[in-house]
Amino acid sequence: MKSLHPLTWWLWSIAIIVTVIRVDSAVYSCLVIVVAAILVSRLAGDFPWSKSFWFSLRLGLFILIIRAITGVLIGVPIPGNKIAEVPILPLPSWMAGIRIGGVITQERLMASLHEGLVIASVIALFGAAVSLTSPHKMLRVLPVMIYEFGIALVIATSSLPQLVASYSRIKRARILRGDERPKFRTIALPLLEEALSKSLDLAAAMDSRGYGVMRSRSRYRPIPWRLTDSTIFAGGLIWLATIWTVTS
Amino acid sequence: MIKFSNVSLVYPTSTKTVLEGLTFSIEEGEMVLVIGSTGTGKSSLLRLINGLVPHHTGGILAGDVIVDGISTQLVRPGELAHLIGIVGQNPSTGFVTDTVEEELVFGMESLNVAPDVMRKRVEEILDLLALAPLRNRAISTLSGGEQQRLAIGSALVMHPKILVLDEPTSALDPIAAEEVLSIIHRLVHDLSLTVIIAEHRLERVIGFADRIIHISGDGQTVIDVPENILRKSDIAPPIVHLARALELDQVGLNVRDVRRMTEAVRKEGNDLPKIVKKSTPTTISISGVGISYGAHIALKEVSTTVFEGEIVALMGRNGAGKSSLLQSIVGLQELNHGAVTIFDMDPKNLKGKERRTTVGYIPQEPGDLLYAQSVAQECAQADKDNQISSGETFNLLKTLVPSISEKTHPRDLSEGQRLALALAVVLSAKPRALILDEPTRGLDYQSKSLLIQILKDFANQQGKSVIIATHDVELVAELADRVIFLSEGEIVADGPTLDILLASPAFAPQVSKVMSPRRWLTVKDVLDGFEKNVDK
Repeated sequence: MKSLHPLTWWLWSIAIIVTVIRVDSAVYSCLVIVVAAILVSRLAGDFPWSKSFWFSLRLGLFILIIRAITGVLIGVPIPGNKIAEVPILPLPSWMAGIRIGGVITQERLMASLHEGLVIASVIALFGAAVSLTSPHKMLRVLPVMIYEFGIALVIATSSLPQLVASYSRIKRARILRGDERPKFRTIALPLLEEALSKSLDLAAAMDSRGYGVMRSRSRYRPIPWRLTDSTIFAGGLIWLATIWTVTS
Repeated sequence: MIKFSNVSLVYPTSTKTVLEGLTFSIEEGEMVLVIGSTGTGKSSLLRLINGLVPHHTGGILAGDVIVDGISTQLVRPGELAHLIGIVGQNPSTGFVTDTVEEELVFGMESLNVAPDVMRKRVEEILDLLALAPLRNRAISTLSGGEQQRLAIGSALVMHPKILVLDEPTSALDPIAAEEVLSIIHRLVHDLSLTVIIAEHRLERVIGFADRIIHISGDGQTVIDVPENILRKSDIAPPIVHLARALELDQVGLNVRDVRRMTEAVRKEGNDLPKIVKKSTPTTISISGVGISYGAHIALKEVSTTVFEGEIVALMGRNGAGKSSLLQSIVGLQELNHGAVTIFDMDPKNLKGKERRTTVGYIPQEPGDLLYAQSVAQECAQADKDNQISSGETFNLLKTLVPSISEKTHPRDLSEGQRLALALAVVLSAKPRALILDEPTRGLDYQSKSLLIQILKDFANQQGKSVIIATHDVELVAELADRVIFLSEGEIVADGPTLDILLASPAFAPQVSKVMSPRRWLTVKDVLDGFEKNVDK
């Protein structure tokens, strides 16, 4: 498959994100996550950034759990089937209306899980867009005006995989020193130092090669917007329109 | 072209001046070599030329650097991008894009060069640096030599007037280094490119240099033609040491000149006595080892044995499988088939103290072994781990590098000092075998001879072995008893250092090239040959 325009998947993701918020249903959110997962596992290559989607899934899961716990424990009670009851934390009188603890109902749990799922699916869609787009290509279509942002983008995307590689290298060296379970702190410090110095090197390299000097950039190869790009984007738009009419 | 007038430099966090009162000028089409011990400010000098220092690093710059009529104080490094191409010590940290072609055009796109001009220049550079077969490859899949060529290519494609290279060959095997340097040499002559190059391994570059800038430890600098600098300098390639040892009237800078001067020497002297090796017990045995990473086969059916008291050098081109073999010996590598035993133990099962006392391993980045906040803490940790009296590791370190301060953070040590610290930590456990992976990257001659001394002393003790992977033929010539030559995962040669190094011109040390067909590898060998003569 020919490579797509770097903006295609971003536009598609944004269209789907709008539908997720519009529909506001847990089942639909789950469905969207599944579709995104299938797309990423089929289309994303073997690049450092391709794994961002699976990372975003984990982040989404984390948010879901946190949202469920806080949603159940804090806030306005929703009447319904009682699952469990925890003691109510006494709060000063000026915090009227806020309640911590109390009766946990099935409805309350479902409501918070639902909200968590919507947030998780939005994050997953962002993750999918990142996974499916080369950040370096992205850099080439972005205007030079956001120069600092461009440098940050390149540094972030190239230091993450480097960080992973350095981590395993340092850990192995430690094992050889007879240090079977090295403490996280003793690895994190040299790791961060290395990541920082590499990022500075990269920023220096970009600077000394003239990045951001000219207001406009030329393109060696034009980045074409092909029929496939239009199809994917149109697909997203049509889906958005359908959802919009169905739900209104 | 480049004019430094009275330049002094101080970094923000230090009180010491890096460079002091530097005044010189470099003409168009000159190739200038910058030499000096590690930590004397070679990299700072190079980065001053395009203004990365002080624009990127901070610090106070006194005096003025003028490049092609532009003062670097007044413009950002990017605004000199069309004029100066700079290639850092480690090219892989400077790549911005994913593929070879995109990397080549990155700078031109930034400077808004017209597409048809870019297309022409890219084709030129691809041909010039023999990168054409790689044009669509992902950068992460390139070998060290290919990455170095690409980094030079993406600097040259901007048609700069000045090319600045910081240790361009330190990660390269002798053949790849030769390729890179001869391309640069050609550019100097064909296009009158001005080249400033910093390098520790003078034997590789000295033949190409027009002038040398010598930075001594106290920030003082001398600039002169190579003959004058090398007559007195303590930093000198082996052929200069040879000329001094033989008390020749002149120092020759390339093999051809010195060969002419030493015609008489080659007719006299004795060959080295044949070393008859006593048979000693086996320490490390490798049988039928195969390793692959996915579809890539790193090692196939490698078998060899290392004996007590031996120093074995592992050589071969970039990506020949040296690191994989070393890692399998220390038990870090999953073997597809075959077996490794070290003192009759499986290295994979070694744990904690038993591992430390069996095998010491120095990885390519010696800093990986270190994690404490200061040299003193690092040594104290090693004392505690090995249950030896407090201060013993530090005393060991002191014998290696007397100048080291115990309060320094390991990160702030020079390359040589950091290697010495890692060595002291590893040696404090009194291991029975020592494995080193490319320990001489970025080491100056002084640190290198120190390393040779340490390793020789270590191997002379009862029941020890050393294996060292390196590209540095001069180090191998001085240090190793035996050389194993790997190529594409197979052992292609295995034998005494003398036989292996003399067998291929690319991997022969300088002295042996001068003295060929005599079988001498180092200056010491030559002198030994003559002492015998005098005795008779």
